[in-house]
Amino acid sequence: MTDPSASSSPSTTPPYSLQLTPLSTLQPPSSSRTWQTKPHPSLPLVATACSDHTVRIYSLTSFTLVQTLSGAHKRSVRTVSWKPNTRGESVLATGSFDSSAAIWRRQEGVGRGEEDFTSRGVRSGNDEDDDDEEEDDGFDFTTILDGHESELKSLSWSPSGHLLATCSRDKSVWIWEEVDEENYETVAVLQEHDADVKCVAWHPEEELLVSSSYDDWVKFYREDGDDWVGVGGIESEGGTVWWVEFEGSGMKERDFRKAREGLSEGREEWIAMLERSGPRLATSSDDGGVRIYRRKPSERSGNAAASTGIPSIIRSFSIDEEWVLDAVLPKRHDRPVYSVSWSKRTGMIVSAGSDGKIVVYKERWREAKKQQSHEAETKAESDVQADGEQVTTEAGKKPDTPTEWSVVAELYSAHDVFEINHVVWAHRRDKDCRSEDEEVIISTGDDGEVKVWTLDEVVKA
Amino acid sequence: MELDKDNANPTILNPSDLPSRRRESSVKKREDGGTGLFDALVPSYTYLSDPFEPSVSSCDSDDDSVEDIDELEIYDLISSISDPEHPLSLGSLAVVNLPDIHIYPPTSPHSKISTVVVEITPTITHCSLATVIGLGVRVRLEQALPPRFRVDVRVKKGTHSTDEAVNKQLGDKERVAAALENDTLMDVIRRMHATCE
Repeated sequence: MTDPSASSSPSTTPPYSLQLTPLSTLQPPSSSRTWQTKPHPSLPLVATACSDHTVRIYSLTSFTLVQTLSGAHKRSVRTVSWKPNTRGESVLATGSFDSSAAIWRRQEGVGRGEEDFTSRGVRSGNDEDDDDEEEDDGFDFTTILDGHESELKSLSWSPSGHLLATCSRDKSVWIWEEVDEENYETVAVLQEHDADVKCVAWHPEEELLVSSSYDDWVKFYREDGDDWVGVGGIESEGGTVWWVEFEGSGMKERDFRKAREGLSEGREEWIAMLERSGPRLATSSDDGGVRIYRRKPSERSGNAAASTGIPSIIRSFSIDEEWVLDAVLPKRHDRPVYSVSWSKRTGMIVSAGSDGKIVVYKERWREAKKQQSHEAETKAESDVQADGEQVTTEAGKKPDTPTEWSVVAELYSAHDVFEINHVVWAHRRDKDCRSEDEEVIISTGDDGEVKVWTLDEVVKA
Repeated sequence: MELDKDNANPTILNPSDLPSRRRESSVKKREDGGTGLFDALVPSYTYLSDPFEPSVSSCDSDDDSVEDIDELEIYDLISSISDPEHPLSLGSLAVVNLPDIHIYPPTSPHSKISTVVVEITPTITHCSLATVIGLGVRVRLEQALPPRFRVDVRVKKGTHSTDEAVNKQLGDKERVAAALENDTLMDVIRRMHATCE
C-alpha cells in the first residue's frame, strides 16, 4: 500500500479516492416512503414520487419544497419523468400503483424561462419569496393516461420528448404519443415480457426503447415501418432486473477515453469499437449485481446509422439488437440494487439499493503493465484485497476487455437503516456550487427523505 | 375460500407443546402504534448527523438494541398469526417453526442491517395460499421489528410445488408495497393478524 492515508483513515471509510459528503436533506421530508427523484432537464428542480399519493417538487437551489402535486393519483406514486426539450413550459409525467399515468404542466414565462429561474433562485437567496412566486403559477394536472391493468412501475420520455413509454405489473410496455397538450395516443402495446416490467429507458441517440423485468430479461424495441416491435433481448443472471439506463451520448470525450495521448493500438481499437456500438447499457439486479452490456457492432452500426431513419422496406439489414456483457462491476451490494445512474458528465456510475449503501464506480484502462498513475495503483490494490475473488472471476470471464471498473467511493447507511429506492446524478445548483459542471448525487429512501451528496476528493493525511 | 379448503384436515400441534417466551415473562408489547400501514413500516426517523460514524453506537437511543431480538422472539411474533383458511395459528399448524427462523448479523462492521430469514412450511405442497401466508408473515415482521431488520420470507425448500415463484414474489419489495395498498388482500392479512398480541 503506497497511499499513506490508507492506514490512518477512519475505519468506516475504506481507502477510496472519493467520498460522499451530505450536502442537504430536502425539506420538509415526506412522512412515508419515497420511491424516486428526478432532476428537471434544465431548471434547478427535482420531482419526488411519494407513497402518500403525491409528487413533491423541491428546489435544488434552496433544498426546500416548492409544490406538492396531489389529486391525480389514488395510490403510491412510483415513478416520475420530466419531458425533455420543452420550450416555455415544464412537463412532468407521473406513474402510480393506481395503474394510471398523469401529465402535469407549468408555464415557465416567455421564452427562456430556464435562465430567468436559475439566476432568480441564486440571486435572491430568499426562499420564502421564491416559494411564493412558484406557487402562484404552479404545476397543473392536465391529462390522465389510462390503459394499464395494474401498477405502473416506471415511465420515461424519449430524448426528443415526442414519445412517452410506460410499463406495469401487467407485463406490458406502452408507448404514448402526444397529439396535443391534453391528448395522447397509444402508439404501441408491447408484450414481450412474462412478468412485471420494472423499468423502461430510451437510447440517447436512437428511437430505441429498452425494458427490464421481473422475468430476468431486458428487452429492446424499435419502430419497424408503422409498428413498434421487439428487437431482441438479454437474459440476466441476476434475477429481477430492477433498473436499466443507457450511457450518455458522446462519452468518449468525457470518461476514461478522454486522455488519448500515447494510447496503444489495442486501446485505440477498443475506443473505435465502442463508438460503433454506441452508448452502453447499465442494469441493476436482485442479486446485488450491476452489469454493463454493449451492442455488438454490425455493418449498420456507428454514428451514421443512428439518425438516418431509413424505413424498413428499403433497409437491407436486420433491425435485431445483439447485446453482449461488457462488464460486471465489483460486487458491493449484498441485497437487491434498485437503481443505478450513469453520469453524463464523467461516465462514473452510482448504485444503491436495499442494503442502504451508495457506491460509486469508475472505469479505467486495465493495468496490463504498471504504468498507471500512483492513485490508480493504490485503488487496484485495495480492490483486490476487498474482493480478490471477484476480480479474478471477472478477469477469467472477460479476458478481452481492456477496461475495468473500480469502486471510487462507498457509503454505508446513507439513509440510516432504511432502503434506498433510487439514486441519480444531477447538476449542482445551490449557491455554494464549486464549478459550473459540478455534479451531486441525489438519493431517495424508505425514510421519506431525499438527500443530496457531493463527491469530494479524500484529503490525504 | 371457506367452502373449498386446500387442506381440510391439517395436522394440529398442541399449543402447550409449542416454544414460546411468552409464558416465561410477561409479553413485551412492541411499539408500532400508528394505524397507517406505512407509518408502521417507516417509523419516525432521526437525522444521523455523521453517516461515517461507527454504526452500532448510534442505535443506543433505540429501545430495540441488537441483543434484544432472537429467533424465539421472532417466533412469538409470527406463530400467533392465524391461518387464512383454518381458525388455527401458524404455530399450531407447524407452518412456522422455530428451527426455520434465522437471524443474520450485519455483513459488514460498517453496516447496521440485520437479516431475518423465515422459512415457512405450507400444510400441503400445492397450497395456493402459501403466498398469502408468506405475505402475512413478512408484513407482521416489518411492522413489529425495528427498521434495521430486512425480512426475507421463503417457502421451505421442497415443501411447495412452486416454491421458487412464491419466494420471488415474497422477496419483491414493489409487489409487497403494492399488496399493502390492496384493500381485499389487506383485509385477509388483517384477519390473520387479529390473533396476534
